[in-house]
Amino acid sequence: RNSVNRPPTPDAAEDLGKEPMFQEIINIKLIESGEKERLMELLRERLIECGWKDEMKALCRAFIKKKGRNDVTVDDLVRVITPKGRASIPDYIKAELLQRIRAYLVQAAV
Amino acid sequence: MATKNLLYTNPKLCQHLADYKLRQGLSGYKSLQNCLKTTPNGRTSIYKWDTEIPRCCFCNGYQGRLFLCLICSSISCSSHALLHAQSEDGHDVVVDIERSELYCCLCSDQVYDPDFDKVVVSKNMMDMPNNTYTVDDGIRRSSKRRKVNSLMDLDFRKSKRLVSMRDRREKSCYPLGLRGLNNLGSTCFMNSVLQALLHAPPFRNYFLSGRHDRETCKKRSADRLCLACNIDVIFSAVYSGDRTPYSPAQVLYSWWQHSAKLNLASYEQQDAHEFFISVLDGIHEREGNGRTPTKDNGDCQCIAHRVFSGLLRSDVTCMACGSTSTTYDPCLDISLNMDTSNFSSIDVANKSVTPKENSGICTLSACLDLFSRPEKLGSDQKLYCQNCQEKQDSFKQMSISRLPLVLSLHIKRFEHSVVRRMARKIDWHLQFPFSLDMTSYLSSSIVRNRLGNRIFTFENNEADTSAEFEIFAVITHSGMLESGHYVTYLRLRNQWYKCDDAWITEVDEATVRASQCYMIFYAQKMLYYKANDGLSCMPLSPMRDPFFPIAGCC
Repeated sequence: RNSVNRPPTPDAAEDLGKEPMFQEIINIKLIESGEKERLMELLRERLIECGWKDEMKALCRAFIKKKGRNDVTVDDLVRVITPKGRASIPDYIKAELLQRIRAYLVQAAV
Repeated sequence: MATKNLLYTNPKLCQHLADYKLRQGLSGYKSLQNCLKTTPNGRTSIYKWDTEIPRCCFCNGYQGRLFLCLICSSISCSSHALLHAQSEDGHDVVVDIERSELYCCLCSDQVYDPDFDKVVVSKNMMDMPNNTYTVDDGIRRSSKRRKVNSLMDLDFRKSKRLVSMRDRREKSCYPLGLRGLNNLGSTCFMNSVLQALLHAPPFRNYFLSGRHDRETCKKRSADRLCLACNIDVIFSAVYSGDRTPYSPAQVLYSWWQHSAKLNLASYEQQDAHEFFISVLDGIHEREGNGRTPTKDNGDCQCIAHRVFSGLLRSDVTCMACGSTSTTYDPCLDISLNMDTSNFSSIDVANKSVTPKENSGICTLSACLDLFSRPEKLGSDQKLYCQNCQEKQDSFKQMSISRLPLVLSLHIKRFEHSVVRRMARKIDWHLQFPFSLDMTSYLSSSIVRNRLGNRIFTFENNEADTSAEFEIFAVITHSGMLESGHYVTYLRLRNQWYKCDDAWITEVDEATVRASQCYMIFYAQKMLYYKANDGLSCMPLSPMRDPFFPIAGCC
């Protein structure tokens, strides 16, 4: 079985001398307040509604059919559908989530 | 007849997980249970860090999938999970923190253990009464723990989220909506029809999206029983996830009331087809605002008619002058005579009729051909021709002017002859297809065949409704006329299920094809495929019209 023989992801924190990036701070704030969980749930709902989830399912099925049921791991599937998945998210969903994050930051900063 | 075992088939544990279980048993799972928390959206995640968010011990990353080691509780991200297993001996099995799912670092794959699932699901069940987001206080049940695989019996609208939660846990999902119906005393005629109705796509979607509001209905009508309300209750019960057989007593009682005037109410065996028609009629009566069942039915907006009603066209042609008069009649189903042309000796005086050896088999398309064949009306049935101004010999041809969303075909197996004072059942086998193309029985095809290629305008534009259908239910009858048994076969997600009152089993196609069909239900192809995609997790948004299939992405 293939093992994940990749070098570890370069450490962003080490590169910048352990200075947490702004993005990271926002992310942590979102997680701690539970907002991230709500955003994830909204995203899930939108992606199901627009058929994105069904598309990904179909991609997975096609891949499994090609490789054979016993030869596929979850990691393989994630690796295969991630680029296509990211590329095919409709713009309006991205816009909606951005809007929500902005709104959250505004009221969190106060 | 091959019937698969209904029990959950466990995937095999990987070697590493098996080793872990040998060493640790269930203690690791049990201690994990205290850290589990069910989030309002139904996920069970691991929550044990009050102050800071979990981070990978190798790279400090906090994004993506994070795994908790079952031995040492250290956290690694998906890139470093293998590293952890390689650096510590025996630390192979980890748990996905967000999803509470087992993962083996050395196999680089998700692994499954029913014991683990049990631990997670029982925590889920224990948490449910506390999750006020999903449960309506008014219908909270006792916290007595039910068996792991069943959900509480909640009103479907409110349990929408519980449905999707359940999907994540039960890896081998049987489709929703499969539930046995108890026989209340020769009521298999009712159970068989109910099973078919429960899975007619647009009919099902209507009730499951809460379109029939029992509250307003009760307010409007004081005490009068409403068949649609009772059916709504059955939908909620059958799609609740509870698999214990259900007793449809309410429907039976309401139907008795409704059909008392027709003298159908009794404990005797009734005819499933008659029950089918009278149930739809009962629903129409309440929902259709009491419209007279004559001309209006074509445009009636009640759910029974919207789903099942089609339009038949009858052309009567005078044989003397050739002029044709056309009439249209709405229909809820099409009753077909079995085509006898392939059989030689038909001795009607005998109770049993045998087909000629090596003759053709009786097929559904032959019966449909028979239905739409021009039929010469007997000399005692001469019709008045407007053109000739006198009664003339004529022939009649039936065709389908508008196809319903769900096509119900009734095979006339029961012959009652008042003249000969006998009743008998035709036991011949009828071959029927799973995919049916009704194009050649449409009025446009039939009329064109009769008169050649002419420019016709047809009153109903047939182009927009598809003529391709997929089968989803078959009601079969076995036994004799007076004492037989009805069984329904359902096709869900390409798997056939036999619904024999309270017993539901998986069966193969051959069994269904060999059965003695009595009523066959076809749904328009698009509706069938839409309904059967992802049947186990149905997020229905209330704004969606159940009649319009959604095309992919918006």
